[in-house]
Order: sequence, then structure tokens, then C-alpha cells
Amino acid sequence: MKADRLSKVPVIAIVDDDQAMRDALCELVQVMGFSTEAFDGAAAFLAGLAPGRFDCLITDVRMPGMDGIDLQRRLRALGSTMPVVMITAAPDPAGRARALAGGACAYLAKPVDDSTLLDHLRSALGHGEGAGDQTNDEDSPGG
Amino acid sequence: MSETLPSAGDPDTGIVLEIDGLYRGSPYWELDTSDARIFIDAGPSGGELRQANWVAEVLGRSRVVDVNDRAVHLVGTFTGREDMIGRPIADFWPPDSHDDLADLIAQVAADRSPDAMRTREITSLLLQAPVLTVWRSQQAGADTMFVAVKGVVNDHRSYWSLRASEERYRKLIHHMPNPLLRVDARMMGRVFERLRAEGVVDIESYLDAHPELIAFAEQSVRITEVNPAAALLFGARSPTDLVGPVECLFKASPDTARRVTIAHFDRRRSHAEVMKLRTLDGRLLDVRIAVTFPTPPEQLDVTVVGLEDLTDQLRTEAQLRQLQADFTRAARISTLGELATSIAHEVNQPLAAIFTNAETSLRWLSRDEPNLAKVVQLTSRIVASARHANEIVHRIRAMTAKHAPEWRPLDLNEVVDEALLFLRHDIDARSIRLSTRLGLGLPRVIGDRVQLQQVVVNLLVNSVQAIGQAKAGRVELSTGLGAGGEVVFIIRDNGPGIPEDDLDRIFEGFFTTKDEGMGLGLAICQSIMTAHGGGIAASNRPEGGACFQLWLPAEPDPA
Repeated sequence: MKADRLSKVPVIAIVDDDQAMRDALCELVQVMGFSTEAFDGAAAFLAGLAPGRFDCLITDVRMPGMDGIDLQRRLRALGSTMPVVMITAAPDPAGRARALAGGACAYLAKPVDDSTLLDHLRSALGHGEGAGDQTNDEDSPGG
Repeated sequence: MSETLPSAGDPDTGIVLEIDGLYRGSPYWELDTSDARIFIDAGPSGGELRQANWVAEVLGRSRVVDVNDRAVHLVGTFTGREDMIGRPIADFWPPDSHDDLADLIAQVAADRSPDAMRTREITSLLLQAPVLTVWRSQQAGADTMFVAVKGVVNDHRSYWSLRASEERYRKLIHHMPNPLLRVDARMMGRVFERLRAEGVVDIESYLDAHPELIAFAEQSVRITEVNPAAALLFGARSPTDLVGPVECLFKASPDTARRVTIAHFDRRRSHAEVMKLRTLDGRLLDVRIAVTFPTPPEQLDVTVVGLEDLTDQLRTEAQLRQLQADFTRAARISTLGELATSIAHEVNQPLAAIFTNAETSLRWLSRDEPNLAKVVQLTSRIVASARHANEIVHRIRAMTAKHAPEWRPLDLNEVVDEALLFLRHDIDARSIRLSTRLGLGLPRVIGDRVQLQQVVVNLLVNSVQAIGQAKAGRVELSTGLGAGGEVVFIIRDNGPGIPEDDLDRIFEGFFTTKDEGMGLGLAICQSIMTAHGGGIAASNRPEGGACFQLWLPAEPDPA
């Protein structure tokens, strides 16, 4: 089963300015069977962005410089439909509304519950029933 | 200044001087020693105390039969000759030669010759090189002694005018509101002369080797007079309760006795310090003691000790310090309250990492073939994050804990770094661009870490709040060396700045432009900086925004 899926292991990009949190998320996502690439901020992620390189983005909301909401906006502006999972230490309804309106497939509180994250990743990557909160009418990779 | 006693114009009292007028014009007495006979014949015996008693008995029982005007003028009373007749010579004779007079009386009495006579040089405050003569005359009988003193007057003032000045001085001391003690330290003067003759120069090492000398000094140096204020200070029922060895002064401060002894040996004029004083009724006071030693030609038996009760003053000062500390802490806690969200985030960050790493570990462990290497790696990350969380909690606790200021050498850059912990999240959340330029190799400063952190946090809070929700907020922090070698911290922001009219008032207490603020933040910052020997200043930047500057003296070079 492993060998079978090796060629198409999804690559998850993880953006968090806190190194300990970033490393922890990478490890968690890896143990779930995904491949990861970590970035310490939005700018670094955007610099490394290439068509088809990442299958999903997990990003912290509050970060110095560009925050997660702005990052998602930039991503959409670039035409990407990459599923985005937002993680925040200070969840609030307004932030949640902004995140989801901007196209995030999930808005999760830190510390994130592992099975919840896995469910969301699966659904975001199309392994589950659907794409959760995400609008699924524009599913084609853009650019 | 000095003159010979006039020999003319002395309407003498009719006594015929047998010694060819030699003593005409000199002070002259005729004494009846019959009442003192038994003591005179017994002679002095035993130690110094017995000797003193013997002298007192001899002179106390030898009565004045006659006296000439010169003697009246020199040592008599205000009322003159009539008042002196019949009274003991001890009442009038200057104390510094009591021993000599008693001794010569005894020698003459012991001489079998009917015209026995003895002469001796004595010391006197009044006369230069005075010579005392005591003799007997055949005509007058064995119990009648004639006494004369010859010498050059030192001072125009008579002995009694000196005594009057002494009396005034006593009255002054008596009525002074300050506690004063008169102390006779002559015994130590003699001991010190001997030590010096033996070549002792360094009294401190001598005392180290002979600590018993302090105990001796505390016994041999005696309080001879006490004013009512001192009696009150000591809780004595009567001033005489204190007359005796000075040891009662130093019961609670033995080291003070040592330092006073050293000052006396070193011929210093005075010694003052603050010490603990145990009163006779058992209270413990803080007093400033000031000892003034006599130097020749002053009366060597008059060492004056002044005491000042500082207990209330020190207690008030301590209360004030405590109040200031409480107040500063309250302000600190209030500031931390404003930063609660930011601080919670700071603690939550490592906790979230711990949580996630623990979940990941559990997943590795629950596999059929657990990946122990991974679990070891993740567990050590958990430990690191837990340690980090613990440090953060410690810093928060340090900011809220009640503690006396600790003055330590500090790296101001570290203080700034630690202060940032409390606001980092707030700054990120508001998307404020923070730049820090910390100077390298700065000298350290002496201060209380928590209070200096408090100042930096306060200034950061002000900047962040001034920027508010404005876009593209910027805060710049820098440290460096000032022109005068002081260590400087500068914080600049691009907020609205400080209204020019307010610039002079922002450090005043209760000055605020914030709706919810009490206006104490900057006042406390200023009092903290002043207590550190530094300062704080505010200005507006030409390009807009406020600039606050702190400066602290650099730690003195240990070299």
C-alpha cells in the first residue's frame, strides 16, 4: 500500500513563524502519511510557490509581515485554488468569517486536534466526501 | 596676653606673711586642717580610687580661715571673701591640682620642723608654670597651714569667670533639645600615649590582636554628665542612671565602640555614624552618634557625645520606599493586565507545540512497529518547549512578584529583549513592523532588571497604542552609547506623536490622553529612571511620531 501511493504522496506546505510549532506541525502531518515543506513566513512560501508543487497549505493566521488571511488573498489573486487550512491561537468569529470567505477550507484553533486536522486534510485533498467548507465549483488548477 | 599678677594695691587682710613678702600679691590661703588630721596622718593608701577618696577627705575637711583678694579674684565665688571663710578648700581649689595640694599638706604635717615648708610645680589652666607652696608657722600652731601659688596669669579671666563660662556651657547643654553626653575619655588618652610610645601606629591591627582593649575602653571611658534630652532618649528615670561606663551606649552596636576607639587613637576631631542603640528600658533605636574629642588646650576631660534619634525618620523612609515599590508593582501588574492577550499567546505557543508533538508521538507509538527514534526526537522537542514555556511563566511571575529592587549589573540589550516578550504578539497582531538595532559591546548598567523591563514595556505599550489600528505601523528600538559614556535606549514610532503642548507634562502623575489610562505609566517610568541615576526624555520626530529616550550611567570600570 505504501509503495502503491509513494509516487503521489500529497505535499503539504506549512507556514508558521514559530519554529517549534512549525516543526511540530510538519512531524504531525508526516506521521499522517503526507510529505511536508515548511516556511517561516508568507513571503518565503510565496517565493517557493510553483504550479503543482503543493497540494495543500496549512498556515498560521497571525504572523509578522503578511498574515494568513492576506496570504490566502494573494494566493487566490495568483489564481491558485490550493486548499488552505488556517490555524490560529486566537480564534474569533470575525477572523473565522474572513478566513472562510477568502476560501479557506478550515479554520482551526491552536493547539490543533490531530484527528480533526486529518479529517480536514483528507477532505481538502479530495480523499473524503467533499471539500468541506470550500466552494468546489472552481476545482481546476489555476496557472 | 599674659601678665604678672600685680603686687601693688593689694589691701591685704592683715595676715603677716612670714616668707619675706614673697607671696604678697600671689593667691594666698590660711587653712585649718584640724578636722582633716586623722586622714592627713593616715596618709594615702591603695589604688587610684582610694587615693581620690583620700584627697577628697583631706581637702573637704580643711577649712578656709583666711584668704587674700588675689585668691578671691582667682578662684573665689561671686560673693567674695566672706563667703569663702569657713568652707572647705575643696570647694574652691581647681580640680587639676587637688592631688598636689593634699599631698603637700600631708608632707608638711608629717614634717617635725615647726616651720616646715614644701614647694612643688603644678599644672593649672590659669597660670603658667605655677608653683604651689604649703607651709606651717610656729606662731599659728600645727593645724594651721598656709598655702600660696606663684605664677604668671594665662588668661585675664579669673577662675570663677572660667567657672561661670563653664556654668553657661553646662546650662546650654542642659537645655539643648538634642541628647548630649559629657564623657571623660582621659584614661584612653593615656593608654594611647603609651601605645604610641611602644610604636603602635596601626590601631586597627592592634585592636584585631587585642580586642580586650575595646572592652577596657568601654569600662574606663565614663559618662560624667547627661542632659535631660539624653535621659529621655535612653528611657532613664534620671540623668544619673547613665553616669558611669560608656558601655551602655554600645550594647547593640559593638562595632561602633571599635570605630570610635580608632578615631580617638588617630586623633581625629570627631566621629559620626548611624548605629543601633539599646535603651535602658529595652527599646532598640536607630541613632546618629557624633563623638567630638577634645584637643589641647581644651579641657581634656570633655569629650562630647551627641545622639540623634533617627528611628522615626528611618521608619518613614522605609515605609515610603515600600509604598513606592508597591505602587510601582501595582502599575506593573496593571500594564501586564493590558497585555494579557499577548502574554497568553506567548505561553500558548510552546504549549501548542508540546500538544502537537505529543499527539505525533502517540501516533508513532501506536503503530505496529513503533518508531522509537522519532519518539525520542519529539520528546526532546517537548522538553525544550516545556522549558521555554516555563521561562516565560518565570518572567511573568518576576514582573508581578513582590520583591525588593535588586541592584545588579545588567546588559540593557537583554532587558529590551525580555521586555519584547510581553508585546511581541500584540505587535504581530497589529502588523506593526518592529525593528531592533541593539548596540554591540555596550557597557553594563547597574539596576533592577524588573523595573527597567517595566519602563521598556511601558514605552512599547505607549507606542503600540499610539499607532493604534493605523496601517504600516512602525516601531524602532535601538541601544547605544551616549556622548557622556552613558548607555542609551531609544524607541521611535510613526504614530501621531505627542501634542507639543503636552510635551512638558507627560511625565507628571495623572496626566493622560487615554480614555482608560490613569496617567501613571510615564510618571513611574521617570521615577524608576531617576532612582537608577538615569533619565527619560520625550520628543517628536520631524518626520512624525514620538521618540522616547532613556539613559543610564554605565557600570563603573572595576579597574
